[in-house]
Amino acid sequence: MTSTIDPTSSDARRIGSGNALRLREFVRSTDFTLIVLAAAGFVVLASTTGGNLFTGQTLKAVFQYLAVPILVGLAQMAVLAVGQMNLSVGVVTGFTAMVAAWLMVRVGLPAPVAVLAAVLLGGAIGLANGLLVVLTRINGFIVTLATMTVIDGLRYGVNGTGTFQNYSSGLVKLGQGSLVDVPNVFILAVLVALAVAVFFRRAVLGRQLLASGGNPLAARLSGISNDRAIVMAHVLSGLLAGVAGIVDVALSGSVNASIGDDLLLPSFAAPIIGGVALTGGVVAVLGTCLAAFIVRLIDVAQAQYSIDKSWVDLIVGAVVLGAVLVTQVRIGKKGART
Amino acid sequence: MTFIAEQIVKVFPGVRALDRATLRLEPGTIHALLGENGAGKSTLIKVVTGVYQPDGGRLLSTAEDGSLTELSFGGPLDAQRAGIGVVHQERNLVPAFSVAENIALQAVPKRRGFVDQEAMRGLARRCLDRLDVHLDVDRPVSSLSVAQMQLVEIAKALAVDSKVLLLDEPTASLTGDEAEALYTVVGALRDQGHSVVLVTHKLEEVFAVADTMTVLRDGRSVAEAQPLAEHTRDDVVTLMVGRAHADLQLDSRSVDTTTAPALELENVSTAQGHHNISLHVRRGEILGLYGLVGAGRSELARAVLGLDAITGGTVRISGEPVRISSVGQALQRHRLGYVTENRKEEGVFLDQTIARNVSVTVWRRLARLGLVRGNDERALVEQYREQLGMRISGPTQLAGQLSGGNQQKVSLAKWLAADCDILVIDEPTVGIDVRTKAAFHELIVGLADAGIAILLISSDLPEMITLADRIAVMSEYRIVGELDNDHRYERTSHAVIRMIHAEIAS
Repeated sequence: MTSTIDPTSSDARRIGSGNALRLREFVRSTDFTLIVLAAAGFVVLASTTGGNLFTGQTLKAVFQYLAVPILVGLAQMAVLAVGQMNLSVGVVTGFTAMVAAWLMVRVGLPAPVAVLAAVLLGGAIGLANGLLVVLTRINGFIVTLATMTVIDGLRYGVNGTGTFQNYSSGLVKLGQGSLVDVPNVFILAVLVALAVAVFFRRAVLGRQLLASGGNPLAARLSGISNDRAIVMAHVLSGLLAGVAGIVDVALSGSVNASIGDDLLLPSFAAPIIGGVALTGGVVAVLGTCLAAFIVRLIDVAQAQYSIDKSWVDLIVGAVVLGAVLVTQVRIGKKGART
Repeated sequence: MTFIAEQIVKVFPGVRALDRATLRLEPGTIHALLGENGAGKSTLIKVVTGVYQPDGGRLLSTAEDGSLTELSFGGPLDAQRAGIGVVHQERNLVPAFSVAENIALQAVPKRRGFVDQEAMRGLARRCLDRLDVHLDVDRPVSSLSVAQMQLVEIAKALAVDSKVLLLDEPTASLTGDEAEALYTVVGALRDQGHSVVLVTHKLEEVFAVADTMTVLRDGRSVAEAQPLAEHTRDDVVTLMVGRAHADLQLDSRSVDTTTAPALELENVSTAQGHHNISLHVRRGEILGLYGLVGAGRSELARAVLGLDAITGGTVRISGEPVRISSVGQALQRHRLGYVTENRKEEGVFLDQTIARNVSVTVWRRLARLGLVRGNDERALVEQYREQLGMRISGPTQLAGQLSGGNQQKVSLAKWLAADCDILVIDEPTVGIDVRTKAAFHELIVGLADAGIAILLISSDLPEMITLADRIAVMSEYRIVGELDNDHRYERTSHAVIRMIHAEIAS
């Protein structure tokens, strides 16, 4: 086998040396932009509120209520990986929370069993979503729009507009507690994020999801089942939404049917701002977490400055739109280069 | 007007697609543009119709008084305005629109900003009348036959006043009667002073209807606007295939014929339309499957891999009848791999790292507790980087950043990694520069020498004659002949081309 390196070839030119290249690539990445944005936002917010942000309770609340946005962001990211969408992420979170509370309060199951059951329920709903998409060949957007509406109704079916409370004090204590000043639920969210990152980076199944999402034709010709990938992505999405539901139960101490109503936009905002491609094939776990944090800062700013709540939605919406636009431009540039 | 594309040069990265090709079109003639696959016909058409801008040469038109005008096309619209129309092989009609709306699509008559319905119908009728075709102009195009759609496309070109009309494989999907009707129309256009260019593989039709011809070979025009009456079919074939300039000289390989073939098809028919296909390839042997584009070769490979239904006959692997339902199964149970012809669309994951691309077929093998071991994966990349001479910056480089040749190596590497016994390799060197091509040829021979059974699909006849031990020729979803390849270019190429043209003519 002869192989000659042509110094003028474009491939040879791209071969740069080690660390300098890696650093340059990192500086250009979405993650870097988000880290700078998050840090700047945090500093500005902290200084303009006169250090208010650093008082124990406020700081703790910032991260406590970051857990659910991270988890639903990851839940959405899981289906975006295969080029699908899951509109039911928010209501599944709310529904699994309701069911967990119902199992503890009405059925009298111990907390660990109720928690496990709720997470599995999320997975089962994901399985149903996935199977519907694959078997009917109906667009995932439409399927999950339908299941979203169905589950929305079921949520109220569990306990009407009433509230479940006074369930397992152990669970609530755990949910509201901290480990060395770091909220437990935030630690949980970070651990889940790490697991998801490992899943997409190293696990056979995770890679198959990305391969299928990135290029279904090539995936099929490489022996990967695209149908299986779509189903498994929805299952993963449901499981993660179930975990988010449990966090809600443990953190708030009381649950009613309106939980999850306001999670749909954030579930898309985190991965999209975080650099996940809507077309599938690319995930960004760190980006999704950072973006969730930035959205959380906007919420905090709203509370700190007593801004009208409607401005928050406007800002988040605009940021999502901007992020999609930026991604589009970057993809366009990348396309021109190849 | 006489239209001349003079000494056209068009260069793509690593490939000189056109190298001083000249096409001269006189009014009132039917001109055949001939050449084997890859000779540069499509590129020349794209230059003439303004899709590509030439890197050298001129486009000229002469008026009746003999004055020359140099043309410059910034895009297809400029070519259209200059009077050059084209009917592509793939249909360019809007199925939901009426015949009239389609014909007038590029020249919509308007009145006060609205479409003038009556004028539009009138225009469509006039265009169809000139072709002596009678069609209800209000019918939706989706209700027409393929042959009728073709006529609508020609009428559409007339609506924008085309003087030169290029027809790309116009009879590819027509029956004999329909083709005859089409050529009647083409004859009428010639009599009205149009210049019609016929791009086709069907030499029979060329000799029946065309007046003059241009033959392209390797991007050059080896015959320019010559009267067909002065040529025989054998002449034309010789002009098309030329002489060999093989850079890899091979002796015939000895193949063990005592054991059962690695892959054998017996009377296989498919849902795609293959009929009674029988062929076999042994370990250490390269069976070439030659045919023109659209002959059904890749489709056959896809059926064998379980991507399309096999409706009859038997597929055997090492003598055992098998039913394969997916690529995964072909790979895991039978060690059968398929290197696709569409590397960008189907062969590589452009937005994934090289490491993932190479290891995709063996993730399970490289995994412990469901997690792929990074070190093993990197080792795999290094192994094939060396073996295939991949020019990459590292295992984490994205496949989308590589050149075509290196992407092809990545696409091949994943099947080598899978340790296949049988490889179907489909058009391995399309769009790849000459040097990399030679390296690929060496590699494929090396794989066969190592005992892998190779079914090589290629439209590149020199490549076929360089590499294959035997050549099976496919035309219109049937095997029309098979021959032992003695690597002697002239004799083998003539035999192969005759097999195809005899089949098309019959």
